[in-house]
Amino acid sequence: MGGKSFFIDTSRCTACRGCQIACKEWHGLPATPTKQWGSHQNPKDLNFYTYKLVRFSEHEKRGKLVWYFFPDQCRHCIEPPCKDVADGYVKGAIVKDSETGAIIYNLELMKKVPFDEVREACPYNIPRQDEKTGMVAKCDMCIDRVKAGLLPMCVKTCPTGAMNFGERDEMLALAQKRLAEVKRKFPNAQLCDPEDVRVIYLVLDNPKLYHKFAIASVTPGITRKAALRKLLNPVGFLQTLG
Amino acid sequence: MKMTRRDFVKFTGVAAASVTLVNLGFDLKPAYAHAQILKTRMAKETTTICPYCAVGCGIICHTDLVTGKVINTEGDPDHPINQGALCAKGAALYQMINNSGRITKPLYRAPYSDKWEEVTWEWALEQIAKRVKETRDKYFIHKNSKGQVVNRVEAIAHVGSAALDNEECWLLQAMMRALGLVYIEHQARI
Amino acid sequence: MTNHWIDIKNADVILIMGSNAAENHPISFKWVTEARKNGAILIHVDPRFTRTSAKADFYTRLRSGTDIAFLGGMINYILQKKKYFKEYVVEYTNASFIVNKKYGFKDGLFAGYDPKKRKYDKSYWAFELDRNGVPKRDKSLRHPRCVFQLLKKHYSRYTLDKVSKITGTPKEDLKKVYELYASTGRKDRSATLMYAMGWTQHTVGVQNIRAMCIIQLLLGNIGVAGGGINALRGESNVQGSTDHCLLFHIWPGYLKTPRASLKTLAEYNKKFTPKSPDPMSANWWQNYPKYSVSLLKAFFGDKATKANDFGYSWLPKLDDGQNAAWLILFDEMYKGNIKGFFAWGQNPACSGANADKNRKAMAKLDWMVNVNIFENETGSFWKGPDMDPKKIKTEVFFLPCAVSAEKEGSITNSGRWMQWRYKAANPPCGIKGDGEIMVELMNKIRKLYKKEKGVFPEPILNLNWPKEYNPHEIAKLINGYFMKDVTVKGKRFRKGEQVPSFAYLQDDGSTCSGNWLYCGSYTEKGNMAARRDKTQTEMQARIGLFPNWSWCWPVNRRILYNRASVDKHGRPWNPAKAVIRWTGSKWEGDVPDGGWPPLATGKGKYPFIMRKWGHGQIFGPGRADGPFPEHYEPLECPVKRNLMSSQRINPTVKLFETDADKWRSCDPRYPFVATTYRVTEHWQTGLLTRWQPWLVEAEPQLFVEMSEELAQLRGIKNGDKVVVESPRGKVTAVAIVTKRFKPFKILGQTVHQVGLPWCYGWVAPKDGGDSANLLTPSVGDPNTLIPETKAFMVNVRKR
Repeated sequence: MGGKSFFIDTSRCTACRGCQIACKEWHGLPATPTKQWGSHQNPKDLNFYTYKLVRFSEHEKRGKLVWYFFPDQCRHCIEPPCKDVADGYVKGAIVKDSETGAIIYNLELMKKVPFDEVREACPYNIPRQDEKTGMVAKCDMCIDRVKAGLLPMCVKTCPTGAMNFGERDEMLALAQKRLAEVKRKFPNAQLCDPEDVRVIYLVLDNPKLYHKFAIASVTPGITRKAALRKLLNPVGFLQTLG
Repeated sequence: MKMTRRDFVKFTGVAAASVTLVNLGFDLKPAYAHAQILKTRMAKETTTICPYCAVGCGIICHTDLVTGKVINTEGDPDHPINQGALCAKGAALYQMINNSGRITKPLYRAPYSDKWEEVTWEWALEQIAKRVKETRDKYFIHKNSKGQVVNRVEAIAHVGSAALDNEECWLLQAMMRALGLVYIEHQARI
Repeated sequence: MTNHWIDIKNADVILIMGSNAAENHPISFKWVTEARKNGAILIHVDPRFTRTSAKADFYTRLRSGTDIAFLGGMINYILQKKKYFKEYVVEYTNASFIVNKKYGFKDGLFAGYDPKKRKYDKSYWAFELDRNGVPKRDKSLRHPRCVFQLLKKHYSRYTLDKVSKITGTPKEDLKKVYELYASTGRKDRSATLMYAMGWTQHTVGVQNIRAMCIIQLLLGNIGVAGGGINALRGESNVQGSTDHCLLFHIWPGYLKTPRASLKTLAEYNKKFTPKSPDPMSANWWQNYPKYSVSLLKAFFGDKATKANDFGYSWLPKLDDGQNAAWLILFDEMYKGNIKGFFAWGQNPACSGANADKNRKAMAKLDWMVNVNIFENETGSFWKGPDMDPKKIKTEVFFLPCAVSAEKEGSITNSGRWMQWRYKAANPPCGIKGDGEIMVELMNKIRKLYKKEKGVFPEPILNLNWPKEYNPHEIAKLINGYFMKDVTVKGKRFRKGEQVPSFAYLQDDGSTCSGNWLYCGSYTEKGNMAARRDKTQTEMQARIGLFPNWSWCWPVNRRILYNRASVDKHGRPWNPAKAVIRWTGSKWEGDVPDGGWPPLATGKGKYPFIMRKWGHGQIFGPGRADGPFPEHYEPLECPVKRNLMSSQRINPTVKLFETDADKWRSCDPRYPFVATTYRVTEHWQTGLLTRWQPWLVEAEPQLFVEMSEELAQLRGIKNGDKVVVESPRGKVTAVAIVTKRFKPFKILGQTVHQVGLPWCYGWVAPKDGGDSANLLTPSVGDPNTLIPETKAFMVNVRKR
């Protein structure tokens, strides 16, 4: 399997949020109104105008404090469940770019796909809708830049090497290499669903401590159709919408 | 010395991309037009240095050749310090330049007034020049209490600025010192 | 910075203390990360757990304002465990110098203290001189009055036990930091220190940094790759604006502002030109007259002649001992003594300590000129909180100026790189560049003086002032050019030719130079700051030197004091990370600190060429508050007594006396230690960033961070609106209740600490909150008068 992939090394992320803002800059996305809500994570969640969000979470483990940062974005799944949903309604609402593997939403056509189903299908809780227009949006891998030989804006902007982008096999190799390196000090370190997604996260600890949806919210090993049915949990999703 | 043009805009790639996306039935809103064509394709590039902290990161500004407006800013990949990277503030430089909050005319607040009034540059600078001269002439100190020549003005003070260019800083201190000011301070003191 | 950003990657140990580099200098972490990839250890010491701490290999906490105690313990550890780099200490520092018999230290006071004046007579701290007038030395370091022995004695008091009680840092944490850091007292290892306002904004700010300098000198970490004392400066050109001296006490190039008693240029030059009878000392400042005369020529051009003392008397003089620093400026304004005010690219209504005093002071002005990009709390002070415009007379002129990318010119980063920026676009119609504004304004003033005459018009009319702003012309003037055909050092130069380097500047009026430090930046070869050539030798590549990229003062030297990175024969202490190397006939690598051959040849010079005696100053007899750093409590602190001595606060601190200058220590009404800081997303007072929706989206409102324990004590929940108040003011903020703050155990008592950023203001965004500087005290370091905004006392309650 070829195409492109991201490797996101959260151990190197300093939460400078260059990626979060650069994403808005390149895509011309407006700011959304926010309030200080007792956290530096703002906006509180992804939204129609926010494709990339650095999530902050602090935990105390055996007297040692950790503060985890998780630059959340669409994983560009190898077999995207959202596309399966969309394909059942409108052909072309969600497309997979054959060259890169990028999963791209067509804003207009997505109006015709029931948003709830798309969102529920996503194991990572990524897609967001504009209530007014009904359009649905998420990270587009900076497909215009990538096609022009440039790095996605978030990757280019990252100062520490937390964000990486390139050929899929290279990214997988880099991920494995980094995993081996950090394992020595952090035995719980792991890669999040590396086989299923094009955005591979390295975390030093239980992924759930970083973000509820850091790894897919379905058990691996079952078929996608079954997974789709199984993961439908509207109550849980509604809570995260708040 | 202008930098050499970076080889990162590959026209063939862009053309191919737009064809592919059009074939896929993309019909995007103007805000998303860049998804079809790289927005910086035809822009002029200039380099600048980030105006925030003193790391001194390189930034490229893309200026639209027709409108003359900055349409994009991003890290300069050739710069040895940041190698293209930027923090949240640096990544937002575009929004400082293109910002509807910017004031575009000199403003004047009269004594006891509760509002700003728009004024012309000519009027504002002339009035300021008059105030400077009046205050300076009235409060100029030729000699101190010991009778030593000091030629200074204590009734006018100046603060700023570490955000100015070197050339401006030099001129500004020369101007203030020539006027006789001794209260000359700026961010380095706080 | 003695070194530069990329050089951080060469360090084996990185200590970040008094800084939150990951948040406030985020791209520095590119190089911190690079160092860690190579195996470096990152230590963060800070009152709060920040994004920097989150990335550190080791983090520990200390109570705000106790850094000297922490570092004093480290000095003690290094000396007790003999971890210092002996050869370096003996040869390159003043450890072997003998101090005169009058020196002493007792119960928190150094010899020579005058309690009435709250000042020291520094002659008590002088070195003992030999017949030639050179300090006596004992290279065995055994003499009881040699600096090394005095140092040992002074810091033997800083035991782990005492330090831990003062700082609240657990003893095992102290030991761990000391051990890790002291591991670099070897030839093949180096450690760098990254600090920022967390060290300067204290009543002991200068001595915080001095303490670290002593450590770096003991470990041989100055001048080497991956070493140094690195001030992470917070504004894009605060280095340049300091070099060009928008400051009361210095002229461009760190020349001294003249004093009333110095009637002539000759007296002025004599006073500030040090003499060193030691032939081994380069004593660089012996060139002072060349720089001062060239500066006057830049000021007044052909109008400055030998006959009129080059216009020396046209420039203002301060009285001897007069101080016109920021805090005094606003004190005078508050008292109604200042009538006219320029706030040019600065927002003192939010940035100054005790900001409400500044705001009230502005209401006493006749007029103010505010130059800025956006509306701000300074220009609009008259309609701010608790202000009644109908009662405020001050006329205000607001002049809108261009954004950096809308003009051309250079700025100097923290690593002293002067970098040229181009103009990407014209500013929107109606807006002018700052340079344009100042040139036009001064020309209007000149016209008035020409037309109407006026008081003492000479400096105004004789000023070498352009008709229009052209950054290249000014950059050339700052570099300097020859004022007539002349031969210097066997080289012929024509009138108008750019001076190639400060070695060619003259004291006879044949050269001008707006700033000798920048001489070499714009030469006949062109604009050096605009260079974008990344070629480097293999030796330079190994340590990340880019000598052909932009330009660096002085003389493109990228690592200061680099002659201390080699032994007496010019051999690098650490060949793997060599900065310079003597080939037998010349130096290679970086531009050496002076081209003389190595010391062992007998023709060399000591490496610390800017110091009179050429040595790194472990003993610093020039400071206002003592030759060795000593722990004193902040002006406002939670402890009744200083565990180190009966001097609770720095005995030389200047206290202001207006009704706006209030402070309380150990007052149950203000029981919590507070500190201020910034966030990544906003810059300084937030004047520029609070208008930018993307940045406001990420950090929308003033917050106060506190521990879960304190929140419980005050019945505060995460996200609650709370009031934070000090004796000087109060702000409303959103509580962030976090595990990242923890109460301290200080002398058996629980001390809570809170922190809040100072990047908000009432103008924008509308519900963003106001400046944390409404809380901070107007008291400053006795050397610099930088205010103590990093440690003060507050109360926090639910709104």
